[in-house]
Amino acid sequence: MKSLMPVLVGLVLLTIGCSKERNFDERELHLISPEKIAGFDPIHGSDLYSANEMGKVYEGLYEFHPFKRPYELVPNLAESLPNVSADGLTYTFVVKKGVLFRDSPVFKDGLGRELSADDVLYTLKRLADPKLQAKGWWLLDDRILGLNEWREKNAPLEASNYDEVIEGLKKIDGYTLQIKLKKPYPQFLYALAMNYTFIVAKEAVEHYGKEFLNYPVGTGPFLLDKFEQSNKIVYIKNPKFREKLFPSEGEEGDEKQGLFADAGKKIPLVDKIIVDIQVESQPKWLLFHKAKADLLEIPKDNFDQAVVGGADLAPELKGKGIRLIKNPMLDVTFFAFNHEDPLFKNVKLRQAMSLAWDRGEANKLFYNNTAIEAQSVIPPGLGGYRKEFKNPFVKLDLELAKKLLAEAGYPNGKGLPEITIQTRNDTISRNTIEHFSKCMNKIGVKVKIGVNTWPELVNKVTKKQHQMYTMAWGADYPDAENFLGLLFCPNQSPGSNGSNYCNPAFDELFRQSTILQDTPERSAFYEKMNEMVALDVPWIFGFNRTKFYLSHAWLKNFKYSEYTHTQFQYLNVDLEVKKELSKKF
Amino acid sequence: MTRYIIRRLLYLIPVLLGVSLIIFVLFNVVAGDPTAVLLGKNATPRQMQELREQLGLNKPLFAQYLDVVRSAFTFDFGRSWSSKQEISQMLRQGAYPSLCLTIPAFVISTVLSLVISLGVAFYRGKGIDLFVRFCCIAGMSVSALAYILFFQYFFAFKLGWFEISGFEFGFPDFVPFIALPAIIWIVLSIGPDVRFFRTVILDEIYQDYVRTARAKGLSEMHILLKHVLRNAMIPIITYVVIQIPFLILGALLLENFFSIPGLGGITLNALNSSDFPVIKAMAILSSVVYIVFSLISDILYTFADPRVKLK
Amino acid sequence: MKTNSLWKDSFKQLARDKISLISLLIVLFYALVAILSATGIIAADWSKEVGGSNLPPSFEHFFGTDFLGRSVFIKLIRGTQIAMSVGLATSLIAIPIGVVLGAVAGYFGGWVDDLITWLYTTFSSIPNIMLLIAITMILGKGLFAVYVALGATSWVNLCRLIRGEVMKHKEREYVQAAGAIGGGHFRKLFIHILPNVTHIVIINTSLQFQVAIKSEVILSYLGLGVQGEPSWGTMIDDAKLELAKGVWWQLAGATLAMFFIVLAFNMLGDALRDSLDPKLKGK
Repeated sequence: MKSLMPVLVGLVLLTIGCSKERNFDERELHLISPEKIAGFDPIHGSDLYSANEMGKVYEGLYEFHPFKRPYELVPNLAESLPNVSADGLTYTFVVKKGVLFRDSPVFKDGLGRELSADDVLYTLKRLADPKLQAKGWWLLDDRILGLNEWREKNAPLEASNYDEVIEGLKKIDGYTLQIKLKKPYPQFLYALAMNYTFIVAKEAVEHYGKEFLNYPVGTGPFLLDKFEQSNKIVYIKNPKFREKLFPSEGEEGDEKQGLFADAGKKIPLVDKIIVDIQVESQPKWLLFHKAKADLLEIPKDNFDQAVVGGADLAPELKGKGIRLIKNPMLDVTFFAFNHEDPLFKNVKLRQAMSLAWDRGEANKLFYNNTAIEAQSVIPPGLGGYRKEFKNPFVKLDLELAKKLLAEAGYPNGKGLPEITIQTRNDTISRNTIEHFSKCMNKIGVKVKIGVNTWPELVNKVTKKQHQMYTMAWGADYPDAENFLGLLFCPNQSPGSNGSNYCNPAFDELFRQSTILQDTPERSAFYEKMNEMVALDVPWIFGFNRTKFYLSHAWLKNFKYSEYTHTQFQYLNVDLEVKKELSKKF
Repeated sequence: MTRYIIRRLLYLIPVLLGVSLIIFVLFNVVAGDPTAVLLGKNATPRQMQELREQLGLNKPLFAQYLDVVRSAFTFDFGRSWSSKQEISQMLRQGAYPSLCLTIPAFVISTVLSLVISLGVAFYRGKGIDLFVRFCCIAGMSVSALAYILFFQYFFAFKLGWFEISGFEFGFPDFVPFIALPAIIWIVLSIGPDVRFFRTVILDEIYQDYVRTARAKGLSEMHILLKHVLRNAMIPIITYVVIQIPFLILGALLLENFFSIPGLGGITLNALNSSDFPVIKAMAILSSVVYIVFSLISDILYTFADPRVKLK
Repeated sequence: MKTNSLWKDSFKQLARDKISLISLLIVLFYALVAILSATGIIAADWSKEVGGSNLPPSFEHFFGTDFLGRSVFIKLIRGTQIAMSVGLATSLIAIPIGVVLGAVAGYFGGWVDDLITWLYTTFSSIPNIMLLIAITMILGKGLFAVYVALGATSWVNLCRLIRGEVMKHKEREYVQAAGAIGGGHFRKLFIHILPNVTHIVIINTSLQFQVAIKSEVILSYLGLGVQGEPSWGTMIDDAKLELAKGVWWQLAGATLAMFFIVLAFNMLGDALRDSLDPKLKGK
C-alpha cells in the first residue's frame, strides 16, 4: 500500500501542465454555457441557455434577423411571412420545400425525410399536450381555436390523440397550413420564433419516448454529437443542411465592423461546436484567457480585470486582439411590493422608499456603473420606451423621501413595521439587500432580508407570501407587452404579476393595446401606460442592465442579440488569425 | 457468521423505512410546492394544478409515503423533475467524477496519515511529536471554505499550476482537474486522521503485551510495526471503512467549487431546485451504502481480531 | 468520592499545562467579547459606514472595510457573538437529547435500545447536508434555523458514546450496590451512573462547539446561514467574489478570528481528554 503513494503523486505531477495540442485545421467554435442544460426537448427549455443549445439542432418557422435592429422577424423554415386575414384571426403559412430532418434510425432507411405542414401542426399540438406540461404552453393558452378544448379532452386519457383535427390547426396541402386564432394575438409570430415551437419529428418523439430529450432529431444546422449534461456538449455540422445563405444586410455600421465578409456563403460556417458547461465565474474567465473559449459573457467579478473605467478594454487584453462587445439588455430589475399587503396601498410610502435608494451607488457596487437606471417597466430598445421620460421618483432625494414618509403617516419611520424583502440565497443577492437596507435606514425605514432557494422564492411569490421581493425580468420576445403584462391585474399571482398590482385604468389601456398590431398607435398606448404606471411606483424600479462580451479576434460575425438561440450558425473562425494570435496565450 | 450478515442486512428494512419517513416528512409534507418552479416563469395556475396531479402531489399523504417506500425498496427512482433525465442514469454519470476525486484523495490521505502517525508514535513526547500534533490541530482550525478559496485563488489562478476547475472524462484526462481538489481534501483530512491514528496507536503502546515484548528485547520499530499496528488496525479499519460511504456521495463543496459534475453537485442542485425524486434517490442510496459499509467494517473486525465474535 | 478526586486532579493538571491554560483564556476572551457584543456594549454600530468601499487594512481600520464601507474589524466582533451563540445553542440542543437518549438506551437495553439505535442509525445514514438544508427550508433561514439544524444533527455521536459508556457502567458494582439498597432505575441512572460519564459530555462538547462554528461557515456559503447580521461565514462567502479584485481582508480576518477559537477548543478538548479519560492516564 505504501508503494502506491509515490506512484499516485508522480502521476498527478506528471499530468499537470500537460495540456492538449490545439487544433488549427478544423473550424471549431468553443463556447461556454453558464448553466446546465436539462435536455433537448424544445417545449421544456424555458431559459436562454437551453434555447441556445436547442437552436443549434432545431429550427422554428421564423427567426430574428441576426443583424437588423430593432429586432425583425424573418422566415426560417417558413417560405415567407404568413398571409393574415383582415380580421387578424386567420394565418396561412407555407413551409419551405426540400427541408430535410437529420438522418436518424427513427426514419425509414435511416434517412431524414422532408419537412411538411404536418410537422408544424404536430409540434404545436405537442406544446399543448396535457401529458407533457410544456413550459411554453402559456404562449398558446387560450389563443388557438379548439386547442384548449383538445387539451381538456385529452387530459384524462392515457395518451393524447394527435390524429384529431382541430378547428384552429388545419392542413391545407403538404406544405401549407392554416391557423385560426380566438382573438387577435399580435405576438403570435414571436411565439413561432421561440424554442418552444421548434419543429420536431413525430417519428423521433414516438421512437425515443421519454429519452427524446437526449436524441434531438431536427432540421438545424448542427447535429448533436456528444451530450454530457453537466460538463460538455459537442456538435458537428449537419452535412445535409439546406441551402441557407449568410445575409448581406443589417444595421448601419455592421458593414464597417466586417460583419458581412461571409455574405452570400452557405451556412453554417464552422465544422464543430464545443460548448463547455461552466457555472462558476473564475473558471469561465480562465477558459477564455487560455484561449479555450472564443467568446465570454464577462462574469461580474472579473469585470475590473477586463474593463477599465467601466467603458474600455484593459490594455493587456487589447494587446491580444480581444474585443469588447457591450449591449443593453432587454430586461429590468426591480424590488416589487406586494400590493395585497395593506402597508403598500400607501403610495407615498412606496414613493419615499424609491427616493431613498441610492441607485448611483448600487450601480457602482453591483454593475460597475454600466447599468441604466430604469424609469419604468419598459426597457430601452422596445416600442413604448421614451428616452426623455424621467420618473420623478427614480432619483436620490432623502429630504423629499423623508417628507413623503411623514405624509404617509410614518414620520422618520415611526410606526412603520420592519419590512422583509425576499431574495435568493447567493452572495450578490444578499449584498444587494444589505445595500438597500442601508439606504432605507437613512430615512428610518427598517428592512430585513429573507433568503430563499430559487424554488422557495418562486413559491412565496406565487402564493403571495411576501411583503417585498426582488427579481429581474428578461424579454421573452421584443414587445413591451411582455413587460407591461407584469402589472396587469388578471395576471396576478400565481401569474406573472407577482406584485399583485391592480390599476383599473392601466388594465383598460392594456386590454385595448394588446390586440393592436405593431403600429405607432400601439407604441403611443405603451408610452402612456409606461409613464402612467411609473408615477404610481408599483415597484421600486431598478436597472436595465448591460451585457458585456469578450471575443477573441479570430471569432467572426458575432453581434449581440437578445435572442442568441439562432445566432450561432452565422459565426465563423479565422484560422489564420487564431494560429497567429495563439502564440500570445 | 452468515446468520449475522443476514440479520444485519435485514436491519436495512427498518432503517430504509425510517429514512423514507424522514425524507417524506421533510420534502413531501413540509417543503413547498415544486410546480411553480418546474413550469418556469410564465406558468399558468391551471397548469400548476394539472402538474400537481400528474406528479402525485394531490394523492393522500399515506399513498405518497407508500410511493417513497416503494422506490426505496425497488431502487426505481424514476426521472428527475427538473432535468427529466433518468435518475439511475444521472447517478451513474455522477459517480464517475466523484470517485475519480475521492478515491485517490482518500487513499493518499489515509496512507500518509498512517505513516505520519506511526512516526509520531515512535517519537512520542519529543519535539517532533508536539510539532506534528500542533500542525494537525492548527490545520483543522481553518475553515474548509477558506482553504478552498485560497488554494484555488493562489495555486490555480495566480500561479496557474492547476486547472481552475472543470472535468474531463477518462484517464488520464481528469487528473489535472482533480489534482488541486484532491490536495485540498488531503490537507483537510490529514489533521483529524493523524490525531485519531496517533491516539489509537498510543493506546496500544501502553498495553501489557508491549511491555512484555520490550522486556524480551525486541526493537521498538519491530514492536511498533508488528504488534502495535496489528492491534491498532481494528479501530483504524473501522474508522476508515465507515468513511467510504461519504466518498461515494462525493465532496460536495469541492465539487461545487471546482465544477466537478459529481454526485455532490447533483445533490446540491436537487436541493436547490426542489427536485424531490433526486433528493430521495440520494438519501436512500446513501443510507444503503452507509449500512452496508458499517456491516463490512464489523466483519473486517473479526478478521483483524479473532477475539471478536459476531452474534 | 471517586469523581471528586478525578475532577480535582484534572483541574490541577489542566492548570499546570500552559497550553491548556492559554486555550482556556482564549475561550474565555471570546466569550467575553461575545457577551459584550450581545449586550450592545461593543460593536453595536457595526452597520455604520466608517469609510470608503473596500479600503485595505490601515491603522484606522485594522481589517479594512467591506464593500459598503463598514469596518471589517467591528463585523468580526459581531461575528464572534454569532459564532459563540451558534456553538452554545447547538450544544444546548444536542447535549440533552444525546445524553438522555444515550443513557436510556444503554441502561434499559431491550426494545428501548433497539428503538434508539434505530433512530440514530437512521439519522446518521442520511447525509447531514440534506437534513441541514431541509430544516432550514422548514424553519426559514436565519440564526434560529442554524441552531436547530446543527443541534438536530450533532446529538447522534454523543448519544452513541454515552450509550456505550452507560452499558459498561450499569454492570459495575457501585450500580449493583445502589440497586441493592433500593435505588430505582431513575436514581441509579441519573444519580449514580451519569456523573461518571460526564467527562464524555465535556470532551464531546468542546469538540462539538468548534464543529458548530465551522459548520456555520459552510451553511453560509450555501446561502442557508445567518442573515442580516455579519457572521464569519457570510464574510468568507463575500470573499468568494472579492478575492479576484484583490480584496483579501474579509477572508483573512474571518479566517483568523475563527482559527484562534477553533484551535483553543481543539487544544482544550485534547487536554480534557488526556486528563479526564483515565484510559490514557498512564502515559
